[in-house]
Amino acid sequence: MTLNVGPQHPGSGHMRIIVQIDGDHIVACDPDPGYVHRGEEKMAEYRNYITNIPHLERPVIHDSCNILYPYVLGVEELLGIETPERAKYVRVIASELNRCIYTMYWLAIYGIFLGHSTMFMWPAGDRELLIDLMEKMTGARVTHAHFVPGGVRNDLPPNFEDVCLRQVNYFEKRIKEYADIFYDNPILISRTRDTGVLSRQDAIRLGTTGSVLRASGVDYDVRKKEPYDVYDELDVNTNVMKEGDSYARSRVPWLDMMESCNIIRSALEKMPSSGSVRVKLKPNPKGGHDTVYKRVESGRGSLGCYIVSDGKPEPYRVKMSVGSFRNLIALPYLLKGEKLGNMPAVYWSLNYWPVEADR
Amino acid sequence: MKTATGIIRALNSGIKHLAVKRFTLRYPEEKLEFVGDGYQFDPSTGVGIAGLKGRHMLFHDHCTGCQLCSIACEGVAEAIGMVKVPEEQKQNKKSIMPQIDYGKCVFCGLCVDACPFYALYMTNDYELSSFSKEGLIYTPAQLAVKPYVRQDSSIQITERGATHG
Repeated sequence: MTLNVGPQHPGSGHMRIIVQIDGDHIVACDPDPGYVHRGEEKMAEYRNYITNIPHLERPVIHDSCNILYPYVLGVEELLGIETPERAKYVRVIASELNRCIYTMYWLAIYGIFLGHSTMFMWPAGDRELLIDLMEKMTGARVTHAHFVPGGVRNDLPPNFEDVCLRQVNYFEKRIKEYADIFYDNPILISRTRDTGVLSRQDAIRLGTTGSVLRASGVDYDVRKKEPYDVYDELDVNTNVMKEGDSYARSRVPWLDMMESCNIIRSALEKMPSSGSVRVKLKPNPKGGHDTVYKRVESGRGSLGCYIVSDGKPEPYRVKMSVGSFRNLIALPYLLKGEKLGNMPAVYWSLNYWPVEADR
Repeated sequence: MKTATGIIRALNSGIKHLAVKRFTLRYPEEKLEFVGDGYQFDPSTGVGIAGLKGRHMLFHDHCTGCQLCSIACEGVAEAIGMVKVPEEQKQNKKSIMPQIDYGKCVFCGLCVDACPFYALYMTNDYELSSFSKEGLIYTPAQLAVKPYVRQDSSIQITERGATHG
């Protein structure tokens, strides 16, 4: 029997999964992304380097700093801008906070689809601590439009370091409490342990990235392997698990959040206390005839941006290589032979965000 | 046995929270506190001043009708249109000023970055809902009014947990 899950089903998240089932078991599965395709890459060809910023962050509004990061780094190289030191630290703090905000939202959805409604309420509430910080920092709860080529839009508000440290410390204390109620909960473990196992070889062969790759035992993180901005001055420890099942894939982002808290704390400590945060640009900056590829580690894995410039104020081509789309490839391999009831546990463990994959 | 203790630990972790004060913000009764008076921009240094990106505020005695805010918005939301104003200002020969459609605005603040005359800022006003589409279009006269925003609650972190108070 063929079963269409989605595209307007909350369990699939604006994407259709065509599942062939035999009784209760999945025989084959064909993910069909593209329902929320908005043509972001084409739109970027008609706007200049600055007005591209508000719409390029739309694919992942919860992780809007990270999705802008490779674009901004690329444009900086194209235009030959040197970013001030303080701006680099502000960017690192903003992107780590954003990673946590995204992961908390994902964790809330993962909890509710496993039938754990407390795990929906807690992350959704604790996320507010970080959203409050981002609002103080950038002026918007989501879709910050904070990063620009040459730094960030505005300096930190007065007394921000203390508020940030206090709220991040409390946030870390809170997420540690999730261990008892969720991650060490025998009900969750029996649902997710040994479902959708992705071996180390398969994870590399299929080109997965981010937490999916790290959950399969590959120690790979762009922040560590190709440090951008000031990540080489900060200590980045990656969390690797060997199992490669849904449980490992759901646990790695949680451990990453604690690592993000450490990075924020050390960035706040090392940040220069004063200095400019933005380089003044000409009104319509033009790039030369050049191409550039930059990538960063987003909440969903490696996120790359390829920009081609032909000497005009608008880019000739902007191509985004996103982690969600690369992880989706693994879904048919993971679901084959699984029970239909395990589909949400496996599907959401891929850390997949449909809007980002469709762009 | 391990399963039983695991479930009891999970329940216990939830029960502990019965004694904790609630974190929820009771929105219409209490409203969040912001830093500063809204997002502003200093054209001389090229750096913004942190604040909430809410409704705009237009200073009629600074606006020259140069349309730079409208041009900045063209590629983003097309929310800003230039309209004739009845009043005559010395620096505004054409007597045109921005009118903002909040049905289209995405609150990115690029228009504020574009203004070289300290004429356009953003304020803390975020309650902009209206019963009609026309009600969302703010004329230059409406934009000149500084809004009053009640701010009485921020996140407090104590030994017993975080609250809005």
